Amino acid sequence: MAEALMLCLAALFSLTGMGWLALSLEVHWRQLFGRRAELSASTANWLRLAGWSSLLLSAVLCFIADRPSMAVLVWVMLLAAAATTIALLLAWRAHWLRILALRIGA
Amino acid sequence: MKDSFLNRMTWLHTWLGLVLGFVLMAAFFFGALSVFDREIDRWAIPETRFDPQPMPSFDTLLQPVYARLKPHPVDMAATQQRVIGELPHPDTLPMSSLWAYTTHRDPLLQIGAEFDVPNKLKDDADEHAHVHGWATIDPRSGEFLHNNKLKIGSEWFYPMHYQLNWAWLNLGAWLVGLAGFTMLVALVTGVIMHRKIFREFFSFRPGKRTQRSALDLHNLSGVVALPFLFFFAFTGLVIFAGTLYFPVGHTLLKPLHEQHEVLEAQRTGLPHEPSGVAAPLASVDAMVAEARRRWAARDMPGEVGLLMIEHLGDANGYVSLYRAGSDQVALVGQAIHFKASIGEVLREEPPPSALGSINEFLTGLHLQHFEHWLLRWLYVLGGLLGCVCIATGFIFFVEKRKRKHADSGSQGSRVVDALAVATVTGMLIAAIGMLVVNRLLPADLGGKGDWEKLAFWVFWIVALLHALVRSAPVAQARINPAWREQCRGIAVLAVAAVGLNWLTTGDHLFKTVFTDTYWAVAGVDLSLLVTAGLAVWSARKLAQRAQTHAAAMAAEVAHG
Repeated sequence: MAEALMLCLAALFSLTGMGWLALSLEVHWRQLFGRRAELSASTANWLRLAGWSSLLLSAVLCFIADRPSMAVLVWVMLLAAAATTIALLLAWRAHWLRILALRIGA
Repeated sequence: MKDSFLNRMTWLHTWLGLVLGFVLMAAFFFGALSVFDREIDRWAIPETRFDPQPMPSFDTLLQPVYARLKPHPVDMAATQQRVIGELPHPDTLPMSSLWAYTTHRDPLLQIGAEFDVPNKLKDDADEHAHVHGWATIDPRSGEFLHNNKLKIGSEWFYPMHYQLNWAWLNLGAWLVGLAGFTMLVALVTGVIMHRKIFREFFSFRPGKRTQRSALDLHNLSGVVALPFLFFFAFTGLVIFAGTLYFPVGHTLLKPLHEQHEVLEAQRTGLPHEPSGVAAPLASVDAMVAEARRRWAARDMPGEVGLLMIEHLGDANGYVSLYRAGSDQVALVGQAIHFKASIGEVLREEPPPSALGSINEFLTGLHLQHFEHWLLRWLYVLGGLLGCVCIATGFIFFVEKRKRKHADSGSQGSRVVDALAVATVTGMLIAAIGMLVVNRLLPADLGGKGDWEKLAFWVFWIVALLHALVRSAPVAQARINPAWREQCRGIAVLAVAAVGLNWLTTGDHLFKTVFTDTYWAVAGVDLSLLVTAGLAVWSARKLAQRAQTHAAAMAAEVAHG
């Protein structure tokens, strides 16, 4: 049961990680907050840092849940699933991702 | 200079991808299905819908089963070609070795044996004077699975994945190997061509022209699944490299290979040859108990996954027990070998060398006999992303050329598009149609499996013909209506399969999910329903797109 929880959290963090990395790109930032929304360099840096940390955290959780040889596979595949999900959300339900911008976007 | 290099890469990517993409599509799609091959088997053979079983007792259950196992007629016929003189009656051939293999997902047990043949071989270099027998049994009763049954998952979709069910001269396997190599080339050239990997990492713009959105999806699926696609193409090649593609151990380096076998036998103490002195078989169950005790003592408790006995009935005979790899990437491991006549441990295998571990990891990650349901589903997703990547590659190819072809009167994009329809929606129709036929045919029909195979090919050929017949609009730069028509066909077949499963077995989804949970069947049913939903949605989107396109064309004509 603890393993299932770890894996769920790992999936969640890979999703938020990919989401933040997507927001750090101007084109997607504007998709969410309008064409003229400015993405400052410092915001972009923060988003990038949050994104990579989140992905790293997801990796750590994978390694806690499974033995290393298995965890590598799970993590790499989770990244693919998360990136696909974020891309599809950006295509059809982009506003859902505003939640990831927290207060930075307000 | 740089431009011509890029052009060459583009040329390679386009044409290799187009020619072998059709094979790759089958490899990825049936590979994705093979992740759940055992579950599809349960769906297709309702009498085997019970829980996975551990390796049964050898002494009480398996021993009498092996006494009933005889050489398989198919291998008898194949061996007859290689030997001088008539083979003796299969019932008289002595069994010289045997094996049994199971995983944490198998209700049924696969068993097999080798039988000695007294005949001389036609070819001196060929020294395999054996004929094989194999069977699938119910490990609770020892009953053989009736031979009219086809395990659609593991005996049809799975071999389709790596050899296209085309065994003649191994051509299917060679073709898939070539396609796997092409995949590696396509990935490398694709990355070189795609100059905005990071900027467009998440880009998919479904609202744009078909050509643009197809390219978006092509890039997206190719990039996010890059590690998966690369490693699965690569490990697929590794799995076959030693046995099929470069069997140097049996050709070029044969003397070395044999010498190695003899030396290995000396080093490990496991006899390479029978002694010629008859000996009884001690209790194998006691050996299993000892093996399990030793695994538990090493802090890796487990079940027996693979059981083998070499030199049966001989004083040199030995029993090998391999631990099932449910909790590791490698298929099986931690082998312990026992002297068959007295049951004492001959050798406990040390952990594999670094190279051995890498090999076990690479093959294991592809063959996936481990227990990890999340990773299993992620693999399905990876396989489907591979399919999306290839399918959108076809669509992009057609979209880029069809207007030019329409102006010049060329039929090129029309033919490619029809082939794409047959490999994308047609393949789904063949696979799901086969499941429908499986539920329609009576369970005791002789040669039921052969009818199912025939139905698979018929569905596929009909889908191809339909795509070709309906392809005329492509030559006028419009969409082939076969795309949406076949999507509707998929939806109808998928719903029919679920309904027929309910009607013929009584296993409806409410029962398999809630009251009498059986995820193997529920999972197949649910996947079929999701497929039906996606197919209906796609058909609707395609119809909308055709309408807007027609309106735009009409406006153009009116203005023109």
